[in-house]
Amino acid sequence: MDHIDFNRLKTGEVNLGTSIMAVQFDGGVVIGADSRTTTGSYIANRVTDKLTHVHDRIYCCRSGSAADTQAVADIVHYSLQMYSQAAGKPPSVHTAAAIFQKLCYENKDALSAGIIVAGWDDSVGPSVYNIPLGGGLFRQPWAIGGSGSTYVYGYCDATYKEGWGRDETVNFVKNTLSLAMSRDGSSGGVIRMCVITKDNVERLFVPGNELPKFWEGHEVLGAAPKLGKVVPDVVPMAVE
Amino acid sequence: MTSIGTGYDLSASTYSPDGRIFQVEYANKAVENSGTAIGLKVKDGIVLAVEKLVHSKLLVPGANRRIQTIDRHIGLATAGLLADGRHLSNRARDEAANYRETYNAPPPLKAVADRLGLYVQAYTLYSSVRPFGISTILGTVDEDGPGLFVVEPSGIFYGYNGAAVGKGKQLAKTELEKLDLSQLSLREAVIEAARIIYLVHEDTREKEFELEMSWIGPETNNTHLPVPQDLLEEAETKAKEQFEFEDDAA
Amino acid sequence: MFRNTYDSDNTVFSPQGRLHQVEYALEAVKQGSAAIGLRSKTHAVLLALKRSTGELASYQQKMFRIDDHVGIAIAGLTSDARVLSNFMRQQAMSSKMVFNRPIPVNRLVSSIADKAQVNTQEYGRRPYGVGFLVIGQDNSGPHLYEFSPSGNSYEYYAMSIGARSQSAKTYLEKHYEKFADCSFEDLVRHGLHALRETLQQDKELNVNNTSIGIIGPKSEHEKSETPGGAFRILENEAVEPFLQTMRSKEELKEEERQALDASKAEEATGTAAPAADDDVQMSG
Repeated sequence: MDHIDFNRLKTGEVNLGTSIMAVQFDGGVVIGADSRTTTGSYIANRVTDKLTHVHDRIYCCRSGSAADTQAVADIVHYSLQMYSQAAGKPPSVHTAAAIFQKLCYENKDALSAGIIVAGWDDSVGPSVYNIPLGGGLFRQPWAIGGSGSTYVYGYCDATYKEGWGRDETVNFVKNTLSLAMSRDGSSGGVIRMCVITKDNVERLFVPGNELPKFWEGHEVLGAAPKLGKVVPDVVPMAVE
Repeated sequence: MTSIGTGYDLSASTYSPDGRIFQVEYANKAVENSGTAIGLKVKDGIVLAVEKLVHSKLLVPGANRRIQTIDRHIGLATAGLLADGRHLSNRARDEAANYRETYNAPPPLKAVADRLGLYVQAYTLYSSVRPFGISTILGTVDEDGPGLFVVEPSGIFYGYNGAAVGKGKQLAKTELEKLDLSQLSLREAVIEAARIIYLVHEDTREKEFELEMSWIGPETNNTHLPVPQDLLEEAETKAKEQFEFEDDAA
Repeated sequence: MFRNTYDSDNTVFSPQGRLHQVEYALEAVKQGSAAIGLRSKTHAVLLALKRSTGELASYQQKMFRIDDHVGIAIAGLTSDARVLSNFMRQQAMSSKMVFNRPIPVNRLVSSIADKAQVNTQEYGRRPYGVGFLVIGQDNSGPHLYEFSPSGNSYEYYAMSIGARSQSAKTYLEKHYEKFADCSFEDLVRHGLHALRETLQQDKELNVNNTSIGIIGPKSEHEKSETPGGAFRILENEAVEPFLQTMRSKEELKEEERQALDASKAEEATGTAAPAADDDVQMSG
């Protein structure tokens, strides 16, 4: 092999060459993802949902092989159902993350999966766990993942503040993903987001033509617009 | 007993015509032949106490423990065949460790009791094994607060506020019922546990015994530890006093 | 053919909750010749009576070295003992390799006890037919344990197992309070006296039928020295100087009588120490 096989994908394997993200705030977490699924240069699905339910208040953001991460999420979904039946109460986000980690670590040679687990539980409230490629487990106030994330670490570091409310956090996620999607060839399409709080899970949808726009050059936009004006309101998704 | 000589009581895999499994009932007999063990659950912790019958004065006091630690926050006391007790406590440790490995978190006692119950039950199914000749008291302070369970030879388990197994369990239960466990402090519970063990022992008029006690609570940072020597001695002194008063009254 | 309905295998409880097969296994231990164990603050000692099947046969092996810090004496089926002692050696070596330290004695004893327990619960294997006395030292000093086929293990100040061991036990129970502060030579002498109690009428302890296992510093009667007081087994002529220290039963009786008289005399003059000291309360 003369090139670096970054994701260790088979020829033709479907890839979530992705931008995903999760951020905790006081009352909950906001998770988000782009919607692009690729097979090489072909976009196999341009409206993918990479935000996967594993329990009532626990979701994961999937990156890597679509098949691998779907399988892992399915197993965790099953385990958490078993857990909540046996324990008589919903699992904590940490519990879910620990199961993800066990699967990702013990099968690290066979899997290509980078997963962010986020949600709300009784014991600690909102939390975000990052499980990158090797199967480590890290609790973080915010996490980004997928191929697109590499372009926006600086933006996140410079922008993130503690103490945000729901709306500020949603905007942060939306802006970050938009920036990542505009630079990463394997990311794109629409932005899907979830706001997970104690009481419910709210899904948000940003169509591809309403993505926040940033400086893209005079040739394209003429004079650089002011940031705040261009950002459109978040529109709750009508039908999925 | 109607079971004897019928042939229905020779294997755990055989029902009697009226639907009983005699081998499990006989296993309970093994429990009733052994020194009493009790557990108390109060609002901020638990106390375990066993009446350790001393079959020889050549035994080293304090060396042959019958209360075991399963996880940092879980204690286990058994009554019945001692060797079976160690077998089951080893299994309990494995289960607790396995839970930690899977969920990366300390096991709630209910999960351990649940798995032990399944394990013990498996030994009531086959003719190739015999049931466990022990009843097991499990105690903890976990994320849900204090917890107390008893696993019986049949594999069944119940949660308790006050639990007693072994020879003196009837009297011990009567004494436990008199206590207002929800209002007791942990130190008071230690004193009461010692008193009950002494009372039960006096009742059976058995040979010498040694009191062994452990606790979990705020003072132990919610970890399972032996009751400290000074408190143990205080509890024993008070436990012995009850008989002096009784003598005076008589 | 069986003594009762409930003793045919070890997966059957009797209606009283007893395990007859296990109890019979304990009987097998009593078939073997006696072994004695006792300890002081500095030493732990094993003594055993070796049998021989005849003039031309060698004497049986009653003691095994497990590691530098552990040794055992056995009573019962020697072949079972060899299996278990081999297992103990493996455990000891494994502890050295994995943790770079000698295995704690109680853990070693527990490991064979746990192994033996399985044979009391599952069909297809009989319980082991051998009992051990295990001596060892670790950072809390010398220890003595008994292992039995029921899967139980206990720590003792002194203990005897095997044929006629009850007589030895009676001797040990009478004298055990002195053992803690005994000199090494006195400790062995007590052990020999106890062992003598297990002999048949016309038999005597001699260099051929007596084994001594020792943990602790060297005695004046020993020629060679093991580093750190490691476990060693004395046999044949090495036993002789210890046998020489024994007193006859008559001498012991006489000593006892004198001691009794002395204490009576003290009592009469009111200078006796409180008698409570010798009544040991295990519950205290």
